[in-house]
Amino acid sequence: MLSSFLFLAETTGDVADAGKAIALALGIGLGALGAGVGIGNIFGSMIQAVARQPELKGELQGIQWLGFALTEAVVFYGLIGGLLAYVLI
Amino acid sequence: MTRRLLAIGAALLLALPAAALASSGTGADEEKFNPASEWTLHEWVPIHLGPLDLSINKAVAYLLLGALLSCVIGIVFMRIKVGSDPTKKQALGETIYEVAQVQVAEQGLPTKAIGRWFPYVASLMIFIWVVNMIGFIPLPLSDEKVEIAGIKLPTLAIFAATSTLSVTLALALMTWIFTFVEGVRANGLLRYLRSWIPDVPKALYPLIVPLEILGQFMRLISLSVRLYANMLAGHMLILTFIGLIFLVTPWIFPFSVLLATVFYIFEVVIVVSIQAYIFAALSAIYIGSAIEPEH
Repeated sequence: MLSSFLFLAETTGDVADAGKAIALALGIGLGALGAGVGIGNIFGSMIQAVARQPELKGELQGIQWLGFALTEAVVFYGLIGGLLAYVLI
Repeated sequence: MTRRLLAIGAALLLALPAAALASSGTGADEEKFNPASEWTLHEWVPIHLGPLDLSINKAVAYLLLGALLSCVIGIVFMRIKVGSDPTKKQALGETIYEVAQVQVAEQGLPTKAIGRWFPYVASLMIFIWVVNMIGFIPLPLSDEKVEIAGIKLPTLAIFAATSTLSVTLALALMTWIFTFVEGVRANGLLRYLRSWIPDVPKALYPLIVPLEILGQFMRLISLSVRLYANMLAGHMLILTFIGLIFLVTPWIFPFSVLLATVFYIFEVVIVVSIQAYIFAALSAIYIGSAIEPEH
């Protein structure tokens, strides 16, 4: 029970399955890497902009969420790529 | 206090499909728990027109329910007597309308096109929001059956129609075709196609022209995959955390139910609305930029 709790995989598994799992994890992980930087940038810039000109907050918010969604979607392209690798190959 | 109650309620609701899955898992054939099996669509009412498969399945049922609810929202909140002393209902209706007009339509569409395209983007926003939202409410529309007092009832499950690619692709295809039609109608075919290509030296044309044409098709992919993958990933995360109970050890449940609840709240509060807004806003921007390419 302990070994399954710690996700210690047995070494006698299928190597192809392991490769697929790595592909899926890399797809999500590398996608999230870029998007994390991008989303941080967007919100950082938003804070700066509102701190400088608080009266523009309403106008900026629409653009902020647009940029957030466009950047966040990058993670999911990675996820879809990983899932394709997992399912098709 | 109410918020805490809401969180507890959400956790309990999340535990319900899990319990149902556990009871069905002890059936005749012990099948392995697989979150992806939620997305296999079984035909409920088979309708086949030649090569076309128009069968009614889970996603279609959710879409019909979503369409019905969108109509109800429009009728209840916006088709009411408007008084000078606004009621709660009227205020809510006006808020929805204002978001659709100020944040979505006026951001992307040129002034002359708002009258024609505001209804499209506004209904797109409300429809996608409703379909996303009912995707996070446990409804008895699952393919799994559970026996309660001798009657076989479908179990409660969460499933969003927008987490299937066909649905989002159909929505994106509509926007894509409207973009093209509006662009041609406002500018003429040749001028519209010419507007795809930016002002660059002629020597760069062999490089730029294929890229820009590809870019037009990439819009279709990015618009549909964004909504699809967002909803798919949200549901997959929640299902996987609940599924850890069956995959690893039952004693993991405080951890996995807590994490599933956190993601559930994140999805319901932020992702559902943002995705509906983004889809409508991008549709407005695409259509608007086709009507006034120089803008």
